[in-house]
Amino acid sequence: MGVMADRLGTSLDTQTSTREFGSWMAAEQRRIFLLCRRMLQDFEEADSATQDTFLKAWQALNRPEFKEIDDAGRWVTRIAVNTCLDRLRSRRWQFWRKRPNQEDEQSILELAAAVGPNAEDRVFGGEIGQRLENALEKLSLRQRAAFTLRHYEDRSLAEIAEILDLDIGTVKAHLFRAIAKLREELHDLYFRE
Amino acid sequence: MKHWTENDFKEWLYGLKDEDQHLKECAECRGESERLRMTRARMMELPEVSQEFLAAQRRSIYRRLHEPRHTWFTLRWALPVAMVLLMAFGVTLQRARRSAAVISDEQLFSDLTAIEQSAEPKAIAPMHKLFEE
Repeated sequence: MGVMADRLGTSLDTQTSTREFGSWMAAEQRRIFLLCRRMLQDFEEADSATQDTFLKAWQALNRPEFKEIDDAGRWVTRIAVNTCLDRLRSRRWQFWRKRPNQEDEQSILELAAAVGPNAEDRVFGGEIGQRLENALEKLSLRQRAAFTLRHYEDRSLAEIAEILDLDIGTVKAHLFRAIAKLREELHDLYFRE
Repeated sequence: MKHWTENDFKEWLYGLKDEDQHLKECAECRGESERLRMTRARMMELPEVSQEFLAAQRRSIYRRLHEPRHTWFTLRWALPVAMVLLMAFGVTLQRARRSAAVISDEQLFSDLTAIEQSAEPKAIAPMHKLFEE
């Protein structure tokens, strides 16, 4: 049983459990929020998906039939990815849905993002990184999930397979296709002089 | 000696290609792989997110943790089920009305005879009315 499972065990009384849950959530929150933002490409929806993710985690932990978890980080990542995939699937039916305009989105992002470590990194992450994030729209849902977990979280293929509930061969196929579709962006990211 | 291509490097970066003998022995390719590894490491650094935003998000999550589930949540299936039942009832009612409206054979023959014996179609009758004084 992992450390987190000890800390988040159902045997704890509710108040202690809330505190323990809070400190674990604070440690995972930024990563989960950024994962949701990259998956959903929408700031407000990512905020909402992050909240849903931790709410689902809390509800799962408080179920009497809850089983021990080995890796709480991977477990919550799986919840987050599934939450995002559900939202992306339901988005297909929301033909009336409108993306916030570019200016609004930019101002929201500026509000949320603090100043980076140095100007070069900001430009690096800002220009090419942003282009790559936007290009994720080209990918199918599974390709997007597999690529996001590999590219941004450096998850192994076995971990991605577990998170997405797929076999490793399928994960490889999704990654191959994702890399092919993102050919130009990845070229500029890694090989542009 | 054939150097690794851009595709080889991309596949290697994303775990789809293993290091081979060439990469181990070729200084040029080895150097390129190191450069790419560093670029990738920089890309993986999580961008900053403001503490105020994260704190507000946590507050919102805490609020939701202790909210009782809404009644509508437990009854979320009630509306679709009610709509399906209503539609099924409507279809049944429609069928019942149709079967009640079936005319008898006697009435049908009588109507057909009347049509056959009529000199002009019934639809003309309103036209005649127009010219009546």
